[in-house]
Amino acid sequence: MYGLIWKDIINLKRYIKIFAVFFLVYGFMAFAQKDISFITGIFTLMFAILTMSTYSYDEMSQWDVYALTMPITRKDIVRGKYMLMLLLVLFGSIFSAVFAILINAVIGSENIFAGIGASFIGAAVVILFYSILLPFITKLGIEKARIILFVVCMVPFLIVLFIKKAVNTGVVRVPDQMLQFCETAHQYQYLLMLVVLVVCLSISYFISLQIYHKKEF
Amino acid sequence: MAEVFSGKDAIVVQDLTKRYDNFTLNKISFHVPMGTIMGFVGENGAGKTTTIKAILGLIHTDGGKISVLGSDSRDVPKEKKAWIGVVLDGSNLHENLNLRDINFIMKRIYPSWEEATFFAYVKKFNLPDNKNIKEFSRGMKMKLSIAIALSHGAKLLILDEATSGLDPMVRDEILDIFLEFIQDEEHTILLSSHIISDIEKIADYVTFIHKGSIVFSENKDDLIYQHGVIHCRKEEARQIDPSYIVGIRENSYGAEVLIQNKDAFQRRYRQYQIERTSIEEIMLFVSRGKERM
Repeated sequence: MYGLIWKDIINLKRYIKIFAVFFLVYGFMAFAQKDISFITGIFTLMFAILTMSTYSYDEMSQWDVYALTMPITRKDIVRGKYMLMLLLVLFGSIFSAVFAILINAVIGSENIFAGIGASFIGAAVVILFYSILLPFITKLGIEKARIILFVVCMVPFLIVLFIKKAVNTGVVRVPDQMLQFCETAHQYQYLLMLVVLVVCLSISYFISLQIYHKKEF
Repeated sequence: MAEVFSGKDAIVVQDLTKRYDNFTLNKISFHVPMGTIMGFVGENGAGKTTTIKAILGLIHTDGGKISVLGSDSRDVPKEKKAWIGVVLDGSNLHENLNLRDINFIMKRIYPSWEEATFFAYVKKFNLPDNKNIKEFSRGMKMKLSIAIALSHGAKLLILDEATSGLDPMVRDEILDIFLEFIQDEEHTILLSSHIISDIEKIADYVTFIHKGSIVFSENKDDLIYQHGVIHCRKEEARQIDPSYIVGIRENSYGAEVLIQNKDAFQRRYRQYQIERTSIEEIMLFVSRGKERM
């Protein structure tokens, strides 16, 4: 399975130059404006998106058919992709955090750790998003799953927008118990986030595994 | 038919059935004895690739059993999968990789990857080590797949149209490599091809698949020895015992008849001169004969 992850990483090496240019441009902008708020999380997202590129490469070359003739099981292939996604998200958030600290230090920001929290919350959102998307990619292939990607992005956004509007205009009154629950949840937000992530990822992985086992090549 | 999961067979396919909307692989059976080269022949769309995919566990079957190196094809353990070298009808490698990348990846996939062997084949096949695969020709991609298949201590090679797309010189060179590989009596090759001359040159056994059914699966020399062609008048052809006739090709001058059980036929019909035949001719007669039925 590690061979599969290496295969994806080697395929992604062409992005190194593009990323280097991004870092320089964003670094310069952050330095010029003495503000890092707009770059927090962006690198996490940039790294995370690479997971989808690896699916495209695999599909273009019809790699999976070939890989399954090697000492690689179907489970290895699914697990390899989930591991790669987590690795990229982790690497992206660490990179983004280090970048934020560096810029903070250079521009002499009051709080040197400003913006780090946001990059890790970004990571959690990305993992959640992939938990929903990966079974669809496994089932439909990356091309068709791009439509799902749009839905996965838009639906939560529209729901939140709708609720916000409804609450603000007074059409819907939020029950007190719910507000209370939200406050309690807020206290334990990191723990709660972790539990939600683990549960969602596990369910997602299990579904993808089932789908992949039934696949024909 | 050999016993299922016999230790002397590298591959045993028994009553394999796979149904698609417009095609059915119909209870096919054959076995590939260890230490031999099996040529798997048939026209395009006859079911060669479907059979190979079933052997490799890439598709789910609707019936039958397949054993590969003594294990059920649906559940071949990783140690045994590492002994199988596969060349598919396409490159299946990422276009932006180069040979060093491939060596790096395969080293981490195959426990017994032989780096020196790989680069020796790369040199032998004149593959450019500074170019990405997208710049390789179809022949180069095929040679690369063959180099990979031969560089991890494989005992069984499964090759789907591995020689198509190669020029005759290179094809000959690769066939020699296959013959060299088979010198070890534990090594086996299943070679599917529609280039019959390749099969005639190197195969010990020939399995002929036609429209999803196996027509024959026999020793190549026996096949050639037991069959023959006679030329006669159309009415004479009709008087021959049908049990000897595999197929008849009629034209305005007369008939060509493909005969089986050549020796017995010759004893009974001494008046005919029997000509030697080839696998290609047998295939053509059989498939046309089938179509008439």
